[in-house]
Formats: sequence, C-alpha cells, structure tokens
Amino acid sequence: MIQSLLIANRGEIAVRIIRTCREMGIRTVVAYSQADRDSLPVRLADDHVCVGPAPARDSYLNVRNLVTAGVLSGCDALHPGVGFLAENASFARDVREAGLIFVGPDPEVIELLGDKIRAKRSAQELGIPVIPGSAGSVSDADEALSAAAEIGYPMIVKAAAGGGGKGMRIVRSGNELADVLAIASHEAEKAFSDGTVYLERYLENPRHVEIQIVADRSGNVVHLGERDCTVQQNHQKLVEESPSPAVSAALRERMGSDAVRLLGGMGYTGAGTVEFLVKDGEHFFMEVNARVQVEHPVSEMVTGVDIIRQQMLAASDESLEIRQQDVRLGAYAVECRINARSAGRVTQFMSPGGFGVRMDTFLYLGYQVPPWYDHLVAKLIVTGRTRPEGLRRMERALSELVIEGIATNIESQKKIVSHPVFRKGEYGTGFLGEILKEGGL
Amino acid sequence: MEIKELYALMERFEKSGLSELVFKKDGEEVALKKVVSAPQAPLTMPVAYAAHETRAPIVEPHVKQASDTEVIRSPLVGTFYRAAAPDAPPFVEKGEMVQKGKPLCILEAMKLMNEFQAEFDLEIVAILAENGKMVEFGAPLFEVRRV
Repeated sequence: MIQSLLIANRGEIAVRIIRTCREMGIRTVVAYSQADRDSLPVRLADDHVCVGPAPARDSYLNVRNLVTAGVLSGCDALHPGVGFLAENASFARDVREAGLIFVGPDPEVIELLGDKIRAKRSAQELGIPVIPGSAGSVSDADEALSAAAEIGYPMIVKAAAGGGGKGMRIVRSGNELADVLAIASHEAEKAFSDGTVYLERYLENPRHVEIQIVADRSGNVVHLGERDCTVQQNHQKLVEESPSPAVSAALRERMGSDAVRLLGGMGYTGAGTVEFLVKDGEHFFMEVNARVQVEHPVSEMVTGVDIIRQQMLAASDESLEIRQQDVRLGAYAVECRINARSAGRVTQFMSPGGFGVRMDTFLYLGYQVPPWYDHLVAKLIVTGRTRPEGLRRMERALSELVIEGIATNIESQKKIVSHPVFRKGEYGTGFLGEILKEGGL
Repeated sequence: MEIKELYALMERFEKSGLSELVFKKDGEEVALKKVVSAPQAPLTMPVAYAAHETRAPIVEPHVKQASDTEVIRSPLVGTFYRAAAPDAPPFVEKGEMVQKGKPLCILEAMKLMNEFQAEFDLEIVAILAENGKMVEFGAPLFEVRRV
C-alpha cells in the first residue's frame, strides 16, 4: 500500500485528496507555489514543499521540481490531481522512472487516449458508436460529396490539426459544401500550416453525458453510472448531475457497458471518464479523460463510493472495494461549480450545511485568492431521493452560501438551478446560451 | 516600514518590468535591484527539461535586519551539498571572501549535479542550509555581503 503521497496540485482537488489519504493513513506532502504558501492544502497536509514561483509553468508544471520534491520528501507515489500534468504521458513516465508510483493510468494508456483519432478508432473497433464521419481526410469537393451521402447533414468540417474552433465550419446542404470546404481548409492552413480537413455529422444541441469508471490491475472495471454535464458555457461545465434526465435505463446500460469494454480492453487502471454526446436517445463516443474529474463527487454521492480511495487502492496494486453488481444507482446528486470572477481577500465566508449537503472548497475566511490559477473555488454538491428534491435542496444550499470579498457566480447558479427549462430537464449544450440571451446572468 | 509592507513591495517589484527601485517614506529608504544575468548553464540538462532551465540563484536583500547583507535562495528543489564530494573540503566557509565565478554549492536534482557560482564578489556571512538536506524552491542558502 502507498505510504506517502506527493500531491502535485493545488486548490480544492488537493484538499480532496488529502482528506481521503488521512482516512487511509497515508502521509501527504503537498507541492505548492510561492503564491499558495497560505493555502488550505498547505495547512492540511502533513508536509509541504515549495516547487516554484507563482506562474504555473515554473511551479505546478515544473516536472523536475515536482519529481525531485516527491523523491526527496520520502514519498513513494505522486498524485497529479486534475489539470496541470494529470494527462501528460511523459510526466507519468518521469515519475515512474524516478521510482515513484504515478496515481493514474500507465503512460502508454494516457498516450493512446490523448490522440483523439486513435482513441476514436479504438472505440470504433470495439463496436462503440462514434460520431459518423469521413474515414480520413477529404481533399476535394467530389470526395466530400460522396462522404456526405453516408454521413448526412448537417455536417461539420474540422481541421485535422485543429482546436479552438479554427477551421471548423457547419455545412447544412450539399450546395454549400464545396465553398465551405475551401474556406475551412484555407482557415486551417493559416492557423495550423496544415489544410487537412475531415467531416463529421454535426449534432445540434446534444447532451453531454459521461460515464465514471474505476478499474484495478486485476481487470475489475466498474462503472458508477453517468453524469450529465450539459450545462456549459464556452465548453466549461457549470452544473453536473446524476442520473441524467435524458438517459433511460436501457441507454445507461449500453453506455456503461461500452465504457467498461473500452477502458477494460486497454488495461486502464484507476479513475477515468468516458465522454459521450447523446442525441435523440443515441450515444456517440467523444473522448476519454484519463484522470479523476472535477465533478467526480456527483458520482460519489449517488453511489457512496469514494473514488479517490479506489484510485489509491488501484495505484497500490490492490483490488477495488466494489464490483459492478454492488454499485447502487438510484439516488440523485447535483453539483454547482462556484467560480471566482475576481481575485482578492475573502472577507465573509459561510458554507452551507444540513442534510444531504457537501461542500468541497479551499476557501476560508481571510484567504487571499491568487489571480494566477483556475477560477474554480468551491464545489457545492447535494443529494436527494429524486431530481426535484435534489434541486430544491440545491436552491436552499445556494441561498445559504456566502462568499464576500471576491466576485463569484453564485447568483448565476441560482438562476440556472431555478430556471423552468433546467427544471424540466429538456435542453442541450446550447441551453446556457439561450438563458444568457434572456439576460440576467 | 513593516516587514509585511516590504514583502508586498518586493513582490510587486518582482512582477514589474523595473530593474531598480528606490522607495523613500518617513525617513526610511529601501532600494531594490534585480539581478540581471544570463541563466547559469547547468552541468548537464536532459532535453525534456529544456523548458525549465535551471535558473540562477535568487538574490534578495536580507530583510531581518536592515543590514547590507543579501540572501541567496535556491532556484530549484534539490539536495544541498557544500562540497563536490563527501570527502572534499567545502567550497566556502563562513567569513570567507569569495570571488565572482567561484562555486558556492551543488544542488542535486534528479541525479544531476547543478553547481552554483558566486555572481559577484562577496563575503559569506552565514550558511543557511544544511549539507545533504533537501531545499525547496526559494529556500535560503547563504547570507552574503557584496564586496
């Protein structure tokens, strides 16, 4: 069993990991930047090592200092948390070469999943539905037209080297295909020096639904149901819930077994998430997050399974504490992400409590929120027997939450949670954009 | 001036594009100066870490007493060694006058021995880190006086 863990991360996720480790009797050492000297993880961990100045590239992304800190402070394992180096295969390799256990999947697996085309192909080979698209790149309009006949409209033209929406164009009919293709290719050429484009069916206003997986080295791969993360703004998740109002028992069964098959087939260990888009009762594989996710507490509250604990067990080559047949779904849980909209000192802080309420945060009264890092400052999670009960509880908990001194999105979360469209549960990823148009967020 | 105010001033100065700052208030005067020098080339450096080149030691005015001494701090996480080998004499001793370019210590990180040299002529006022022990980023290594 792991005895001593270096946490190469900060904020709420570092606190989350420390808490489980304390319960498991594992010593924690937190790596921190000079801007985080007074942070809650530094206060809570058994030990702490400064790894660099405030900018993340010199501290939380400083591979050499992180690995050296782990070795010299007597740790036998390193937890990357979320973000920063959590899905960096070469970092995982360096950690392993330094003689430490990397709490996450093997570097080879991270690498495979990081290549979106390879990951999609792996899913396809296992018969998992993927978003229909051209087999490879399309070079001219004729080729595109024949591919389009199979894919169907609307389609999206994507740059092979792409990202950030550049070289991405929606095509609604065959008439405009040639023009759009030329524009997208030209845009891709300018942005990435590579004009290669491919085609994919465009799913309008889909649901974003993901399956939580935990797996150990003996091949026990368990899914903990789904999380619906459809409420997003600029691809940033804001509210996550489980079960999804858009997923039937049959669909859950299909998505769960697809996710287990995909990760089980590649020898995945630890916690991971398989992301799907859901449209009209159909699911399409999107990608795998090869790490624990910010919204993991939603699944913990539904199933009663401590996901960080399972991660630590799997990393220690021990067995998970659960099998698929032990997983109890049926309860409801929802998380609201509380984001800072400004840095500064917390002058008032009151955390909600009571039945079915969980607050994961690194804030405390008087804490100076540094301007250097991610804006997530708290996660408010509540449970209920049903969705209506859970959402009433969330409204109640949000009304108790007080954070002053920094600007936050608490008011906007209240509006989302009480919005009739959200309450009804029938919406897609465009939902937040629609409410924004109504104003008031 | 309170120590806290001085720290705040130093922090702002560090982030600013200024290389020198003289701050006068109520008869007190604080002068801050950035050490502008090329990063010292480490002995060996694997390609993978090129993005995190070893930085020159950080030199800050010594704030405990308003003296003329400065503190040299560790630019990385590593093991502090005062000598080139366990049986070799230390590079420097307390009270010693050291010429610019002479080695002060070795910081070992990931099996790489990074030798750090004096960036200016100096006198060793105190040795602040313990031989063979881990130092974190920013840990004080030497208190020195410019000569």
